[in-house]
Amino acid sequence: MNAEIVHRGPDDAGVHVDPGSGVALGARRLSIIDLADGHQPVINETGTVAGALNGEIYNFESLREELLRAGHRLRSRCDTEVLVHLYEEHGPDMVHALEGMYAFVIWDAQRRRLLAARDRFGEKPLFYVARGRELVLASEATALTRTGQASSAVSAAALDEYFVLGYVQAPRSIFAEIRQLPPAHLLTWSQERPHPSVTRYWSPPAPSGEPTEEPFAELVDEAEELLARSMRGRLHADVPVGLFLSGGVDSALVGAFAADQISGTLKTFTVGYDVGGTSEAVPARALAAALHSDHHELVLTGSEMAVRAPATLARLDQPLADQAFVPLHLLAAQARREVTVVVGGEGSDELFGGYPRVRWMDLAGRMARRLPDSALRSVGAASRRLPAGGRAGRFAQMLATRSLAERHLGCVTAGRPGTRASVYGPALAPLADSDLARGWGVEQVPGRHAAADLMRLDQTRWLPDDVLAKADRATMLTSLEMRTPFLHRELGEFAASLPAETHLADDGKAIVRALVRRRIGPEFAKRAKRPFAVPVGDWLRGSLGATLGEQVAGSALYRDGWFAAEPVGRLLAAHRRGEADHSAVLWPLFSLGCWWEAQE
Amino acid sequence: MSAPRVLMITPDFPPQRGGIQLLAHRIAAHLRESTVRVLTLGHAEAGPWDRREGLDVVRVAGEGSHRADVARLNAAALREARRFGPDVVLCMHICVAPAATAIRQAFRVPVLTYMYAREVAASRRLAELSVRISDRVVAISRYTARIAEDLGARRVSLITPGVDAEPATSGSTQRLQRPTVLTVSRMTERYKGHDVMIRALPLIRTHVPDVQWAVVGDGALRGSLQRLAEANGVADAVLMRGAVDDAERDRWLDTAHVFAMPSRVPAGDRAGEGFGIVYLEAGVHGLPVVAGAGGGALDAVLDGRTGRLVDPSDHVAVAGAISDLLTEPAAAARMGEAGREHAREFAWPRIADRLQELITESAGRG
Repeated sequence: MNAEIVHRGPDDAGVHVDPGSGVALGARRLSIIDLADGHQPVINETGTVAGALNGEIYNFESLREELLRAGHRLRSRCDTEVLVHLYEEHGPDMVHALEGMYAFVIWDAQRRRLLAARDRFGEKPLFYVARGRELVLASEATALTRTGQASSAVSAAALDEYFVLGYVQAPRSIFAEIRQLPPAHLLTWSQERPHPSVTRYWSPPAPSGEPTEEPFAELVDEAEELLARSMRGRLHADVPVGLFLSGGVDSALVGAFAADQISGTLKTFTVGYDVGGTSEAVPARALAAALHSDHHELVLTGSEMAVRAPATLARLDQPLADQAFVPLHLLAAQARREVTVVVGGEGSDELFGGYPRVRWMDLAGRMARRLPDSALRSVGAASRRLPAGGRAGRFAQMLATRSLAERHLGCVTAGRPGTRASVYGPALAPLADSDLARGWGVEQVPGRHAAADLMRLDQTRWLPDDVLAKADRATMLTSLEMRTPFLHRELGEFAASLPAETHLADDGKAIVRALVRRRIGPEFAKRAKRPFAVPVGDWLRGSLGATLGEQVAGSALYRDGWFAAEPVGRLLAAHRRGEADHSAVLWPLFSLGCWWEAQE
Repeated sequence: MSAPRVLMITPDFPPQRGGIQLLAHRIAAHLRESTVRVLTLGHAEAGPWDRREGLDVVRVAGEGSHRADVARLNAAALREARRFGPDVVLCMHICVAPAATAIRQAFRVPVLTYMYAREVAASRRLAELSVRISDRVVAISRYTARIAEDLGARRVSLITPGVDAEPATSGSTQRLQRPTVLTVSRMTERYKGHDVMIRALPLIRTHVPDVQWAVVGDGALRGSLQRLAEANGVADAVLMRGAVDDAERDRWLDTAHVFAMPSRVPAGDRAGEGFGIVYLEAGVHGLPVVAGAGGGALDAVLDGRTGRLVDPSDHVAVAGAISDLLTEPAAAARMGEAGREHAREFAWPRIADRLQELITESAGRG
């Protein structure tokens, strides 16, 4: 399996086999700290505990101090060694000491117990398959299928979820037999009781419904202090560090901290497009000038996308419909020529209230509660006559939807749930009415703001399964490590301790904007959230549309009855003729088609 | 020279509760070689309280907002100074600096002003005025002294607050069956470190599975701290008692095993723990202490002798120190005893004597 994940760690590889139990750990390494002594897996002095880590433990140095004080003997400056000793000290509760992005496995030969864990926000993936007395884990699901450790049969429920949401939600994976360990969960398994036990060790604190009495300036101070602390840990590397600069406020703020904290010039990277109106390149250039960075710009053309997109999407571990995946991967490949680590603004939108829809949905819910059903039916009818994709139409649609979960689903998926009946083939058709929002725990309760629940939903679902899966895959495919300063445990807990209205003031992300004003300048704090920064509609009208047409005509995805070729073909034709924008349906199918072919 | 006449002007005085209130009262009660008159604000239960205490207290009716009450106090002070004829004015808060300025000009009386920490950042102009008009600034810790010196104060005396060296409930020191870590603090400021305690609890539990954390004090952060405990899976180990009376607080101090309050220096330019008298109070009750290595705690806790000073932002270090104390009862008891000894040096009569020296010296010069 090590050979299947070379891109995650091209610098080194290791295997540890415990002959008494038949348990084996393998690891690949991308050297970032302690370049010479970081070999994995790490085994303790007595040979009883072995560990392998994917990711980074940012507080490993203070943990190391604490372990030395408690009498442990450590040989390297490497975080994986700290994990092994921390396990000796605390057992599975060791996770409560960790700050970082990680998925790790520890084998305790004495207790014949295996422990696996995933970080709190879900930055690093971990998949597993449990069969009889066997347990096999890997950082990538396809490392399990390609080596024959798990069947490559897909799960219909996961496909349904993928089509609607654009990603597969943990604990499911796209493969029927493989599970994904959710963020902030522990897995324990022992040879005596081989059924793995999966438990949650942390969750984002429930948001407050009460307005805070704390002065806003003090909250901004607190966030600044925590972000500075987070940056110190994340800029620690023995290799060059760069920044993905999008032109928005999040990466701008990360850039301001990074420029202050690193020695030498910060290297920044931005992607832009040759199709007008959607480029982040211009604001990013202004920011780069303000940060005095060594700025690199990648301009993606439609023809380049036509060549690169299918092959890039084919390398996804699980299907992902996020339109930014391909551009992000190509940018990562460019950045990798200059740096080994990048920092980015991921997580800020989810923790600090960056999505305007949250406020709109909350407002729609409160208005809808006051209207009788007949009025809502009229609004629903009117919404269908308003221009598709327009603000008024979208708001009317929200208003006409009674349940908060449905309102959310309709909004974030551009209405895909309703298209299932027409595009699903016979294999998926029974799922065309499935309720994907079940178990989300969001409902509009009188007297309570729905905004906080929606922010939490974004943090627990969309963030790990889309945003972070995209970031991890896009960067690790080219052996670049991405670090996310906003996803710091204490910063996250701090953000969750504040009521949603504090975050949603100032057009959303009030605290982040205040910090940008303070650290860079007021002119950089105004950037509004742009819902679609990637011109996939244009690309699908060009040669990517032709590729999708070939998929519809020949791919097993349609042949085997998962999706229906004829209605999809009709949507594609209308889109290519410019009669309507169907990219919300076509892009997920295109991305899935590319991935599907690679599995065959 | 006869006993100097001291006019203490303070917005904070019992029966209102709080650290400055307590400090002002104990000083007024223990300055035995001075004739003290306290000028302070009215309070609904002030009448019986003042009669019982037998101090010379003049109260200005306080019925409006705090700001309006302080303005009334400032306005009344000059009149009271005319009546009383002080040799020294003792300001217990920088907010009465306007009154002290007027009295100093009118009667050429020396002014002593107490400084803590938080109030300086909250009202910098008043702090600067206080430094300008005070013959001496009394700083309650080295940390506060540095803040005063940064403001330009030239004559700064360090006099820490004191403690009641004999606890009211000295009888039973039977510790609870369940290992108990205690924090006594309002839940109004993040810098007090309640959040760090919550993060530390799961790690303490690996060594002391049945540990409980009792919190005495209330405030607006209580709800979010409760939710943080739930998020970290330790709600069952957290006992939030809210605001309790002195007797119950003393009972907790008598029966807990470790006192912990990892205060940190707050974010921004604001000041944190001025002194942390509560650490000494824990000492009076024989409790070993875990505190943040910064701010006023450096004066109140002797690292390795009366407790442990740790990085207050590092929950792993906090957990390590608390676990050590809970799992090594002999060492913890030794530290608790040393804390009791240490606290005696801060008994109010001793603290008041040091202030008396300053008053006598200032009065002589005035």
